[in-house]
Amino acid sequence: MLEISGIDTSYGNLQVLWDVSLNIGEGEIVAVLGPNGSGKTTMLKSIMNLVSVKRGKIMFLGQDITGKPIHELTRLGLAFVPEERHLFPAMTVMENLLLGAYTIRNKKIIKETFNRVFELFPRLAERKKQYAGTMSGGERQMLAIARGIMSNPKMLILDEPSMGLAPQNVLAVFETIKKLSAEKVTVLIVEQNVNTTLTVADRAYVMEQGRIVMEGSSSQLQGDDHIRKMYMGIA
Amino acid sequence: MDMDSMQLFNIVLTGVLRGGLYALMAVGLSLVFGVMNIPNFAHGEFYMLGAYFSYFTYTYFHFGPISSILLAAVGTFILGAIAEKTLFYPLRKRSKKNWIMNTFLLTLGISIVLQNGAKMLWGNTYRGITQYWPGKVSIASFNISNDRIAGFCIAMVTIAIFWLFLNKTTMGRAIRAVSQDETGASIVGVNLNVIHTLTFALSCLLAGLAGAILLSISPAYPFMGVQPLYKSWFVLILVGMGNIGASIYGGLLVGLLETFAYMKFGSGWQDVVSLAIIIMILIFKPRGLFAKKGVKSVSE
Repeated sequence: MLEISGIDTSYGNLQVLWDVSLNIGEGEIVAVLGPNGSGKTTMLKSIMNLVSVKRGKIMFLGQDITGKPIHELTRLGLAFVPEERHLFPAMTVMENLLLGAYTIRNKKIIKETFNRVFELFPRLAERKKQYAGTMSGGERQMLAIARGIMSNPKMLILDEPSMGLAPQNVLAVFETIKKLSAEKVTVLIVEQNVNTTLTVADRAYVMEQGRIVMEGSSSQLQGDDHIRKMYMGIA
Repeated sequence: MDMDSMQLFNIVLTGVLRGGLYALMAVGLSLVFGVMNIPNFAHGEFYMLGAYFSYFTYTYFHFGPISSILLAAVGTFILGAIAEKTLFYPLRKRSKKNWIMNTFLLTLGISIVLQNGAKMLWGNTYRGITQYWPGKVSIASFNISNDRIAGFCIAMVTIAIFWLFLNKTTMGRAIRAVSQDETGASIVGVNLNVIHTLTFALSCLLAGLAGAILLSISPAYPFMGVQPLYKSWFVLILVGMGNIGASIYGGLLVGLLETFAYMKFGSGWQDVVSLAIIIMILIFKPRGLFAKKGVKSVSE
């Protein structure tokens, strides 16, 4: 579904990604793991064309999307939930969600998606009229994911969804990811929370210093010595 | 009515009529600042172009008052769209730093070119009309010309339509989304280029409409935009930048304030009072009277 082949990305003269390739099939949950500053977020920003790729190619559903403006990617069925969330603070939960469905013209589909989102996040249904800027961190993260789902995406890209959340909220977020995948949504997730992520993901890639250093199924990686030492603190 | 309440009534009436048009100008200025981060110092020139548009359509082509005013609105909308596409869009592609300063200088340049262009094309003469709608209305022994009343009504209806557009339509929501978080807006699929052009054009439309409405009161003249520009900036400084709703109250407030100063202290004093208040606001409440604290400061 998404195929990244050999991309290099730099910020000015500083090269951050080196020959990164990865592959995600339909309906999969794929995780990209790695320490801070390893280039995970930059890789997502390269997909979404928030930074420009120097070399290599990105294909989505058989279409070359390298360098395509971000608003067109949303129309193709990619939804991006950035770490910084980028919600609309002076708008209500309802308006944020409506904007999530900006690319959808069919009112009936929008209504159905609203029901689906409120089923996933009953908390948001209670707070339709609240301003996004006055919500707690966990609620904002839920709203950001919900806004992504409102576009009825074929693939959801999540950047550090558990960042800054209380443990019970982290669990709720991962539960949601599982539910989404049951609905045939493909998920690409970037995380530092290795333990929990490997319990929901089918496969994972490990990035270090801007390169993919390892890939495998979740169970393979959970048993790997390097992963256990570096990321799980188990000797 | 006794003398005092008569005078008060007169102040309120004149002030509100005047303020409605300030509000119309200020809303457009506020919109462009909020959505595009452009401090538009050429806003007054679109007001001037609106006045010329309706002058020519009304006197030379003999359109009716409503169609002249509407044509002025359409004309300034198109000119605004062209200005955005040919001047601000290329600048946006190149300029990453100092955007506000760069666009400030650009708008100042546009303003000088448009003022002198108008002078070259149409000369340094006042071109006005006596009245769109002849006649006056008497309210409690005050005579108010039909044009003032119609102007105020058109301004209020336009602002109401505009408010509905921003709050109840998908396009309007997208404009507000861009003003709150540009990246967030493009993530949900909003094409920023379209929104920028539309926003600038709409802002010019509001200014052009104000110029057209006021044609019988202030005739078309190349440098007529300077005063309304300063007045709209005054409104923005008073209520806070980029706060569209508050600029409506702000416009009315400034209208009342000026009329009060004019009637109490005499002609010429209204500017002294306005500028003194601007200085006080900038010293004591630099974010404006109605800066949206609760919502905006909690944002990420």
